[in-house]
Amino acid sequence: MSLEILLIIAFGGALLTYLVGKVSYKGRNFLAVVISLVLIAFVACLYGKPVEKTFYFGFFGLGLVLRLNTLSWFFAIAISTLGALSVIFSLSYVKDRERTDFYYLMLLLVNAAMLGIVFSGDLVCFFIFWEIMSWSTFLLISYNRGPALAAGMKYIIMSLVGSLAMLIGMISLYTGYGTLDISQIASAITSASSGYILFILIIFGIAFGIKNAVMPLHTWLPDSYAEAPSPFTAVLSGMLTRMGVYGFLLLMYVIVGLRNVITPRLLSYHYILAWLGAVTIVIPTFIAMLQNDAKKLLAWHGIGQGGYMILGIAFGTSLGLAGGIFHTLNHAIYIVLLFMSVGAVQYRTGGERDLNSLGGLIKKMPIAFVGGLLGIAGLMGVPLTNGFVSKWLIYKTLILQRSPFLAFAALIGTWGTILSVYKFLHNMFLGQLPEKYENVKPAPFSMQLPIIILSAAILLFGILPGIPLKVINAIGTSFGFETLNVTLWGITSETGALNTINIFSALLVAAIFVWILFRLGAKSVPVSQEDSYAAGAHIPKDKYHYTAEFYNPLYRMIKPFLRDVIDEFYYRIAASVQRLSDSVRRVYTGDVGYYVTYIILFLALLILVQIKWKPW
Amino acid sequence: MVIKVIQVILSPVLALVVGIFFLGLARKIMARIHWRYGPPLIQPVIDMIRLFYQKSVSHGRMFDLGIVLSLAGSIVVVLFLPFGQMCPLSNSGGLLVILYIMLLAPLGLALSAGQGANPNISIGISRKLILSLGYEVPLLLVLLAVMTRYKTISIMEVVSAQQSTGWLITSWPLFLSGLSYFLILPAILGIRPFDMTSAPQEISSGPMVEYGGKYLALATIEHALVLFISIALFVNLFLGGGANPITFFIKMLVVFVLGVFIHAVFPRFRIEQAIKYLWKWPTLLAFLGLIITLAIRS
Repeated sequence: MSLEILLIIAFGGALLTYLVGKVSYKGRNFLAVVISLVLIAFVACLYGKPVEKTFYFGFFGLGLVLRLNTLSWFFAIAISTLGALSVIFSLSYVKDRERTDFYYLMLLLVNAAMLGIVFSGDLVCFFIFWEIMSWSTFLLISYNRGPALAAGMKYIIMSLVGSLAMLIGMISLYTGYGTLDISQIASAITSASSGYILFILIIFGIAFGIKNAVMPLHTWLPDSYAEAPSPFTAVLSGMLTRMGVYGFLLLMYVIVGLRNVITPRLLSYHYILAWLGAVTIVIPTFIAMLQNDAKKLLAWHGIGQGGYMILGIAFGTSLGLAGGIFHTLNHAIYIVLLFMSVGAVQYRTGGERDLNSLGGLIKKMPIAFVGGLLGIAGLMGVPLTNGFVSKWLIYKTLILQRSPFLAFAALIGTWGTILSVYKFLHNMFLGQLPEKYENVKPAPFSMQLPIIILSAAILLFGILPGIPLKVINAIGTSFGFETLNVTLWGITSETGALNTINIFSALLVAAIFVWILFRLGAKSVPVSQEDSYAAGAHIPKDKYHYTAEFYNPLYRMIKPFLRDVIDEFYYRIAASVQRLSDSVRRVYTGDVGYYVTYIILFLALLILVQIKWKPW
Repeated sequence: MVIKVIQVILSPVLALVVGIFFLGLARKIMARIHWRYGPPLIQPVIDMIRLFYQKSVSHGRMFDLGIVLSLAGSIVVVLFLPFGQMCPLSNSGGLLVILYIMLLAPLGLALSAGQGANPNISIGISRKLILSLGYEVPLLLVLLAVMTRYKTISIMEVVSAQQSTGWLITSWPLFLSGLSYFLILPAILGIRPFDMTSAPQEISSGPMVEYGGKYLALATIEHALVLFISIALFVNLFLGGGANPITFFIKMLVVFVLGVFIHAVFPRFRIEQAIKYLWKWPTLLAFLGLIITLAIRS
């Protein structure tokens, strides 16, 4: 009962917001915020009440099922919370744009569709919501027009390929078992041959791999993230892309089941997927270093961090799974925060996102800076931020399970991250403030609020990771993994514990001690940025532009290795498809006269065949 | 409990004393190699006290907080490292945490210096980050080889295992990893031929250029702790740690003096040369070490 109401509120609310927007924009903004907050409260109330219910039987004889379990609750609360924050952030961000009613409609629709996906109990529902999500995303990516149209097109084409793969898988499952109910398939598939299971894993894996941008299916992501409006990029990177992770969890551990996925062989599905995850970590992270566009830089990290999630859940131990799922949540928090921080800067600097022309904004936009700082700390996985705990879980699994090369890929990804995100933060907020930004004001409150909330969440989950880990542990147990020994501040086990509260108190005491030492020293004099020492040389007044090529020596060495070969390959395919279509168009001209000629020629051919061979 | 508290207070103090002693010693040894007399051993302490009383400039809030964060981070790392048999936070996350908290020091310094708006700082930080990516590749391979060998992420276990089996650097195949670690140690310590980060003659000490007074004093303390941490990690992992603080200190001293000799006679690399070096022999050795470790154990 309650799940239907939830979805009705979500979808109905989206339409209602659109209609109200035609009358008054204030009412629309208010309604959009209220609906997203109501959804959070609603989902929160559903905690710990598993339901499975068929609400409609008439779909070609198939039941449409909604169900709620720990896994779907976990994703639903993240979706609704981040969705609400994004709506609040949008309030000022899109204020002066055109077609804002449409924007809110699509934003709420995307959130509703994602809630639908996680609450689906059968594959028909799943597919329908999946498609609603895909095309509404397409419309939002293309919202800005111009280059955004091309980005959206790239997204929708890859998305359609994924959907078709999923459809093939569904048809195959339906012909095999006569049902598309997830729990029924799960019990029926245990008797299937290993070849068939592999087919199902691969065909659905393509769909979810495209959504989660696993290499080599990642190429839609950088352009789409960069071109979409920032508050939506936050949703896109935080939760929407991670529907792929949800899909993989559903596929591997709910439908196919733990015992059929995790096989000890070296060339097994989960092992290859783990290696794909590792490749997805390393290469995009290094490509991110070359980016000068703030959002593109984050987008490449979005791909790279997706690799950690895949690596964690594909490896298939309870620690790894917990790490993978936890990283999905953590990534959502810090990447949303980072995109919002960039969004705030964009909003105040006239849409500037080129890292080479920003700088020194820390004094002008302190809250955005704090958001950016904690965001990159989480992205790197600095201890006491949430990203650290999930990465620690993944590393520990890999090391103790004797996969040091996978662990190496994951660890070196972190060090590559440090380089690019420092450049990100430095070029936006630190260094020299260009003269044209002398009068920049802090972001409006509706932008600062989500940034503050998410910053707090990063520290909270970093210092007390036990809060989400308890829920994640329940998810793992429901998949048939052994239970982890989770405490509020980490994990205890014989093979090495994690205790974040110890680290936190040690750092706090050390910091206080050093701060006192700092205060005891002679007082320092605040000076302007012009007043700095350059060994007698003159520092140019505006941008001194060393930062433009921040890692130039490294670029020169690694750039030749970091072309996006896969993207070029897809473009070549696209070009040849276009050539093919062009030649087809020479036959199908659209002129009726030609078609009549074809029909007559075809009839003539048939008559000729009949006269000569008399087959009929 | 009381012992624990004493350890928590004692180990950073010891680390600091050792680190500052090393700073003074380095100047003395360098001077002797140059045929000079050199300053007294306690010169760094005198400098530091003087610096605390001197005027300094501040470029903003992050400029202050970054340096505090940096030093605090280094102090926490010390708590994770066994000093002899003393390790206050031995069971809070192990080597993986050490590896990550070691980030705080350079990150804090980079954030603090970053607000300085000085091209020398940008150049210095850029070099520092590239250099650290350079040495992290072999370093991570080395650490993974050690962790795979003992199937643990706890540094205490690695140390106590060596008490019975002998130093790790003498054991096959981790000899290769140990050698690789020794080859990258100058880069981790930031001494010549890898001192392009500070490079006083080129970029006016890079990230340090805007520091004066207490900032410089704190940065010097931080530097002393980093010296201690880098060498202590090597001694703990490959030279068997120490049965008591005295043997541990002697081992550290030997490694450090070797490092100073290298520092004294080598010219400075350019950053590209450094990366080429780091990604060639040390990485190759570390890679071989890891593969053979994996092959032997499975």
